[in-house]
Amino acid sequence: MSVWNYVVTAHKPTSVSHSCVGNFTSPNQLNLIIAKCTRIEIHLLTPQGLQPMLDVPIYGRIATIELFRPHNETQDFLFIATERYKFCVLQWDAEKSELITRAMGDVSDRIGRPTDNGQIGIIDPDCRLIGLHLYDGLFKVIPFDNKGQLKEAFNIRLEELQVLDIKFLHGCVKPTIVVLYQDNKDVRHVKTYEVALKDKDFVEGPWSQNNVDNGAGLLIPVPAPLGGVIIIGEEQIVYCNANSTFKAIPIKQSIIRAYGRVDPDGSRYLLGDNTGILHLLVLTHERERVTGLKIEYLGETSIASSISYLDNGVVYVGSRFGDSQLVKLNLQADASGSFVEILERYVNLGPIVDFCVVDLDRQGQGQVVTCSGAFKDGSLRVVRNGIGINEQASVELQGIKGLWSLKSSFNDPYDMYLVVSFISETRFLAMNMEDELEETEIEGFDAQTQTLFCQNATNDLLIQVTANSVRLVSCTSRELVDQWNAPAGFSVNVASANASQVLLATGGGHLVYLEIRDSKLVEVKHAQLEHEISCLDLNPIGENPQYSSLAAVGMWTDISVRIFSLPDLELIRKENLGGEIVPRSVLLCTLEGVSYLLCALGDGNLFSFLLNASTGELTDRKKVTLGTQPISLRTFSSKGTTHVFASSDRPTVIYSSNKKLLYSNVNLKEVNHMCPFNTAAFPDSLAIAKEGELSIGTIDDIQKLHIRTIPLNEQARRICHQEQSKTLAFCSFKYNQSVEESETHLIRLLDHQTFESLCVYPLDQYEFGCSIISCSFADDNNVYYCVGTAYVIPEENEPTKGRILVFAVEDGSLQLIVEKETKGAVYSLNAFNGKLLAAINQKIQLYKWMSREDGSHELQSECGHHGHILALYTQTRGDFIVVGDLMKSISLLVYKHEESAIEERARDYNANWMTAVEMLDDEVYVGAENGYNLFTVRKNSDAATDDERARLEVVGEYHLGEFVNRFRHGSLVMRLPDSEIGQIPTVIFGTINGVIGIIASLPHDQYVFLEKLQSTLVKYIKGVGNLSHEQWRSFHNDKKTAEARNFLDGDLIESFLDLSRSKMEEVSKAMGVPVEELSKRVEELTRLH
Amino acid sequence: MATEEGSGGGGAGAGEKKSSQVPAKPGAGGAGKFLAGLPSRGNFSSGSGSSNLGGFRVYVCEHSTDPPEGQVIKTDSTNILIRHLQLNKQKSEVKDADSRTPGENNRGKRSAARSLDVNNSAKRANLGTSSGSSACEEISGFSQHTLQSFTVERLRALLRQSGRSTKGKKDELIARLRESQG
Repeated sequence: MSVWNYVVTAHKPTSVSHSCVGNFTSPNQLNLIIAKCTRIEIHLLTPQGLQPMLDVPIYGRIATIELFRPHNETQDFLFIATERYKFCVLQWDAEKSELITRAMGDVSDRIGRPTDNGQIGIIDPDCRLIGLHLYDGLFKVIPFDNKGQLKEAFNIRLEELQVLDIKFLHGCVKPTIVVLYQDNKDVRHVKTYEVALKDKDFVEGPWSQNNVDNGAGLLIPVPAPLGGVIIIGEEQIVYCNANSTFKAIPIKQSIIRAYGRVDPDGSRYLLGDNTGILHLLVLTHERERVTGLKIEYLGETSIASSISYLDNGVVYVGSRFGDSQLVKLNLQADASGSFVEILERYVNLGPIVDFCVVDLDRQGQGQVVTCSGAFKDGSLRVVRNGIGINEQASVELQGIKGLWSLKSSFNDPYDMYLVVSFISETRFLAMNMEDELEETEIEGFDAQTQTLFCQNATNDLLIQVTANSVRLVSCTSRELVDQWNAPAGFSVNVASANASQVLLATGGGHLVYLEIRDSKLVEVKHAQLEHEISCLDLNPIGENPQYSSLAAVGMWTDISVRIFSLPDLELIRKENLGGEIVPRSVLLCTLEGVSYLLCALGDGNLFSFLLNASTGELTDRKKVTLGTQPISLRTFSSKGTTHVFASSDRPTVIYSSNKKLLYSNVNLKEVNHMCPFNTAAFPDSLAIAKEGELSIGTIDDIQKLHIRTIPLNEQARRICHQEQSKTLAFCSFKYNQSVEESETHLIRLLDHQTFESLCVYPLDQYEFGCSIISCSFADDNNVYYCVGTAYVIPEENEPTKGRILVFAVEDGSLQLIVEKETKGAVYSLNAFNGKLLAAINQKIQLYKWMSREDGSHELQSECGHHGHILALYTQTRGDFIVVGDLMKSISLLVYKHEESAIEERARDYNANWMTAVEMLDDEVYVGAENGYNLFTVRKNSDAATDDERARLEVVGEYHLGEFVNRFRHGSLVMRLPDSEIGQIPTVIFGTINGVIGIIASLPHDQYVFLEKLQSTLVKYIKGVGNLSHEQWRSFHNDKKTAEARNFLDGDLIESFLDLSRSKMEEVSKAMGVPVEELSKRVEELTRLH
Repeated sequence: MATEEGSGGGGAGAGEKKSSQVPAKPGAGGAGKFLAGLPSRGNFSSGSGSSNLGGFRVYVCEHSTDPPEGQVIKTDSTNILIRHLQLNKQKSEVKDADSRTPGENNRGKRSAARSLDVNNSAKRANLGTSSGSSACEEISGFSQHTLQSFTVERLRALLRQSGRSTKGKKDELIARLRESQG
């Protein structure tokens, strides 16, 4: 790898931090707006459900979002504040479908200590001001003028330093805030202040409440006319207001972090606690006087981070720790006493605590298995690029040459027959009453020869094309109705048909066009072409689904594809493909309303053209490599949408998203033929002919990444894969709420295919699993799992004791082979020169694997290296060790064999608090630190002085905006060795918000080119809310801010493909590179993930 | 796998809750009655509110995102203490102006010279306010011309004294003052 890196998101953030509901896109449309760290999703509420509208990238980590309605406006504005102290106010322009910036600004202060309890951004219910609490002891006010414009902001001194929550009170003459804070005796109080806008100061508010619940952390302002505030504690909930009404209700101890208001008058609220229980809080009131509080259990959801009541009893539960959900509140409890019915789950990978890359199908394509979720929502997620076929049934059948499905009548929704063609015969399979496939006969069909094409035709007819004839058979009687014979001396080579037309080619370049008229085959036109025909298609793409006015023909010799008009068989267009490889399959298709001509070659390449369905004009020619063998193309539909299946040695599904063609590989090795086979027993299925096998399977949802969830109900922390034993092992822990909040730590063994639990090894009390690897040792052929642990005793600041456990997998269970006690937490383990390298508190320790006389083994300490604060992450390569320290950035150690010693070679002298490290190559190492930045350092082995050699030079810096927990070498996509992209090494990373990203090391010339493209694109693609891309990607932590360098923002570069044509052209002009060339280069990059 | 164990744990938690005063899960027929009449505006009305209503469009911001003029918000950079002092000073000036008004009336044309003294110390201003109680009666003597020569700030102060609205343009303020006089 190299220092020129390209960072791109393969899986966008999914953990939900905020959500709100309002009329954002139009005065009469209700929207749900969801914040997912660096993205905002806008949904529309409809009678049918939640309809996704927009996914908006934000150049910042969202700290707060809020919808508000300024005076004289008919729809809501969206206020967004980012963690790096930028804010913007957005308005939706429905006419142009644009997000307009109404205001924006920087709200940072030169001095001030950032708040510990998170940034607070609130808007006065009467829209007089925006309040921000960003620094301890300061409350920032952005006032509105009476026209709804924002004015200059100012700070007000806030006496309370440890603020837990601030909200605006409703129904106050002057804007009034209520502050929940903790004093220096750790007692919590609530206080109110009026904001005097003119004096730019606080005035003591109407009331205060001392000594509230010690766990109070959340305030809920109650709308007028009730007014007042609800204080949510851990043991009680209190309502108070200015008229010194004080109502309290005790609750079972729980931490409530999310609430959602149900009624506009504020009499009911939904509360979500840290165990995922949803409660209903009711404010009982007589007129405008609150008489009491009631709390009721509703049911269990994911652990909520935000709750938004949508409409009609449907609630959105956003989660950071598990899948977000759409739930319905039922009036009647179900059998388990729950009023909550889960309508839908939205997959969330966050927090990704650890992951491993495995290649289960052994296809050279990685799958990522993540430790996702937290607490009860913990799970393993298997993330795979591409589309899976789930085999339902299969039979052994050798030598299949073609595959078609037929319906029993033209209007039947389901398929009935499966026609399987062989070199010298054709067999017919049909679904019988027991929903089994059995062989049948269709009398009118010729079963003694190979079938070239089969199709249902109008008037309940079936078409069969063989080398000698075209036969028309009745669906009902199954008897021959009409027949067209090939002229003597000629045989049909290729054929295609639709419901009313047949096009076939015989030797000598003869093209024959037949139509079915009144159940008769009529030869309409004949054309003689100068070369032999290799493939043809007349799939209807016009308005009439039964009749095509265009035909596509692929040619031998001149290697061209031609478009003919029908019925007159006039040549409209000829496109030379170039090269020497014959087109083997052509297809006319319409995806997402766009017509394409696809043309697949004999060497696994595919051309795609945009096709003008009325004129036959071909534009936007593109070439991609899908495999190495001839491809055959077929359309199929899944969930009512048409897609294309390309059968070859690397089968691919071609689909359209955002009106762009996307290619997704299928988890099958080699497919010769495919046809859709949609039957009542196997709905939406595909029949697939592989070498020696016919199988029927269903297809996954058509999307880029496929995620499978293995729920654990406990939280996995470290995972690793062992190929030899076909297992995965992971450390996990589980909260036992019933018993004094204790935790149980375990090591679990799973089958790597079925993910079935094979074995559980419990750890001691207070013992945490900290690291796990699979490794083997010198002079021992066995493969072991090594687990590093720590005893986390509540009284100790740092663990002083831990263990290294070495397990062998025998008969699907973990056998403890060796146990070695350590003097601290084993934060990291690595296989190192046939030995075991452990990072134990501040020390790096190397262990030898020694055999005893009785054949047993032991770990013997060989040497070590001191001098770290806490050595949390280690990676090794050859004799080199890279250590990521808690707060001393990256250092490079080397193991000296002769002296049997570990020495420090170099270090980065910055004080970065590390969260993950990885070695990109021998020279360059990448690190992630807790300010959400990435950086690379390089070993200075050629430097002149010792001083310089002892310094790891920082070569790249970049603000990722995501907290990275793990880097791993590997790739999510199939690497075709012959393509340029296949040579680019990549590292995968996983983050707290559920992002899976890729760092790709580019060759220098490509980097320079893309850097230029990025700087051009910044001028054309603006930041939403006028947030600056340059500032967003600049390396930023407490200590320094520096411009991004040697990293490229792949998300920005790849959004080039989403630009409108005119903008693309402007970019291309500015770059001096044709649009096609740019698109091709960017498209190639998208195939990295 | 661990699914059953986990939900068992959750059940135990809920059971514990029953022992506290809160109505708990098993006896929670109660929640049903509070769930009646959930707000509805016609969404999620047909069927289960299920998915597949299309996908997201990724927003690519091709247009200008510059905010309207004057809406790039900055923070007042004055130190809070200094700002406080300045505000106090301004306030005292206004008060000072108020207290001066009666005097000016008495001294007729020397008012212009007087106004130079507006930047008086806070002390004097305070002294002035104590005698401001008689101000109301004395407003009446102002001619249109004199009023015209006053600053808006002073006019507002006068209006405030007479308990009238201080809103509007200078002309309106004068008109209102004269109205109160006559």
